[in-house]
Amino acid sequence: MSRATVRIPTPLRGFAGGNSEIMAEGASVGAVMSAIGADYPELLERVMKADGQPREFVNIYLGSDNVRTLDGMETQVSEGDVLSILPAVAGGRSARDRRLADIRGNVPEVSPREALELQRSGAALIDVRDATEVAQGSPGGALRLDRSFLELRIEEAVPDLDRTLVVTCASGQRSLFAADDLKRMGYSDVRSLAGGFNGWKDEGLPFEIPRMLNADARERYSRHLVMPEVGEAGQLKLLESRVLLIGAGGIGSPAALYLAAAGVGTLGIVDHDVVDRSNLQRQILHSDERVGVSKVASAREAVLALNPAVNVVEHRLRLESTNVEEVFEGYDVVVDGSDNFATRYLVNDACVKHRIPNVHGSVFRFEGQVSVFWPAREDAPGPCYRCLYPEPPPPELAPSCAEAGVLGVLPGIVGLLEAVEAIKILLGAGDLLVGRLLHYDALSARFTEFTQARNPECSYCAEDAEFPGYIDYQEFCALAG
Amino acid sequence: MNTINLPAPLRDELETIAVNGYPNETCGVLVGASTDGQVRVERVFQARNLNTARARDRYVLDPDDLMTADEAAREDGLDIVGFWHTHPDHPALPSETDREAAWDGYSYVILSVSGARVEDLRSWRLNGAGFVEEQVAA
Repeated sequence: MSRATVRIPTPLRGFAGGNSEIMAEGASVGAVMSAIGADYPELLERVMKADGQPREFVNIYLGSDNVRTLDGMETQVSEGDVLSILPAVAGGRSARDRRLADIRGNVPEVSPREALELQRSGAALIDVRDATEVAQGSPGGALRLDRSFLELRIEEAVPDLDRTLVVTCASGQRSLFAADDLKRMGYSDVRSLAGGFNGWKDEGLPFEIPRMLNADARERYSRHLVMPEVGEAGQLKLLESRVLLIGAGGIGSPAALYLAAAGVGTLGIVDHDVVDRSNLQRQILHSDERVGVSKVASAREAVLALNPAVNVVEHRLRLESTNVEEVFEGYDVVVDGSDNFATRYLVNDACVKHRIPNVHGSVFRFEGQVSVFWPAREDAPGPCYRCLYPEPPPPELAPSCAEAGVLGVLPGIVGLLEAVEAIKILLGAGDLLVGRLLHYDALSARFTEFTQARNPECSYCAEDAEFPGYIDYQEFCALAG
Repeated sequence: MNTINLPAPLRDELETIAVNGYPNETCGVLVGASTDGQVRVERVFQARNLNTARARDRYVLDPDDLMTADEAAREDGLDIVGFWHTHPDHPALPSETDREAAWDGYSYVILSVSGARVEDLRSWRLNGAGFVEEQVAA
């Protein structure tokens, strides 16, 4: 057993009773340190790891030799030896530090409060953290553009190169790199939020937990998410939207499948019929084994097999004046795939009354047509079905599919065009077929477009028209001509 | 705010070492006394930089030189009160690398040096997770 002097560095003296030196006994360096630890456990904790080795930024000297160059903690200690605890000093700057310093010379940093003021006076606050970080919270009103896609998406989000941008991340480093890239892209006034979102939160500034897609949805809809016209916001809109399909037949089949695949959150399906073998030539929602089953139930099965997240609302009924109000409740868009005039007029009238867009389609042998009837559209209202056809044709001029026949693919094409229009309406994207009728002739392989004007005298949709009420549509159509 | 007293002759000494060492980083030890947040530097030492592979932007202060400085300080009744290093062509702000190795209770003086002159000299003190600046007085 030897008595040794242990020299304590200034920062650790507070843990050593204020002493600059301590006497301790032990046969080895490790034993002496343990002896010190018995009296000063906090000191030992700062010098040694749990495994009995010195911490990374600590050196222990025996005399003038670093014990790492001797036998480490096993090094023998003689009577009167001096042990010194010293910091291992290192530092410098990484390539990252150097780059950040360069960028700081070019990109001004702002405090969280300055950022908020800038945002309030019109600057775009851009959160470049990834989706999992943003899901934990993001400054209120920030544009969330993942750093990975920033350069690809910023122009869609901020077309004006002279608008002030304040970039933020978690701590204020990624935002500097991102801000530097945005300057290079031509944005004239780009700043970085010093301290990032952490600093923003610490200041008690407003933040929100944004609604986000989960990982499953992110994977499923990834081909939508990369398109700026859809993106995460658009996909969330689709997931929150409610579409009512009139008929689970030839037109309703592809429309239901693709709307479900696209992630329309709620699909209402109206049909009173059961699956017949003659339907299967075109009604691809159904299957041979489901002949005799309710079409709505069969449709539900097909839709959920494709996308189990869809909320399918079954309306197993024939749409009538007496039930239309109840059925239409809460839907954003109606996709009409009905096969008779009575239902088309009823759907039209209900859509006019509820001010919802009516995506219309019909087929006859090798021909089909599609349009969107939407008199209540805010910026550019279009006609309703009655503007064009105030009265139905006589029944002998309007044969059903059963009577006239139809190419099985044709309602598929019309149903898909209707599905596209429905999605465009929900996203607010593109030019709709409002005031236009698209006619498809399969035999000549031609699309022809007809312009359709509103009838200012229309008894249902004219500006000052009072809704005349529902009528007996069967009688209305039977009496026609 | 803590204050570190660095008399002009010692500051000149550091600046000369920094400029002579440029473009490499130089580093060393500050010896003096500290009481109640007041640090008085009495002597400065240069230490070898063991990181020769990246001598332009990293330093690992030779612990043997630190041991020698500690020995000398104790003989005169002084203590190691901190360390200094240079940032060639880089502001006198602590880097992440500096922070990782720093101890509470020491002063960390950084000299920003570019070519023939020292642009800036600032001193920092670790306070928990981050550095806070301390005032440098002559």
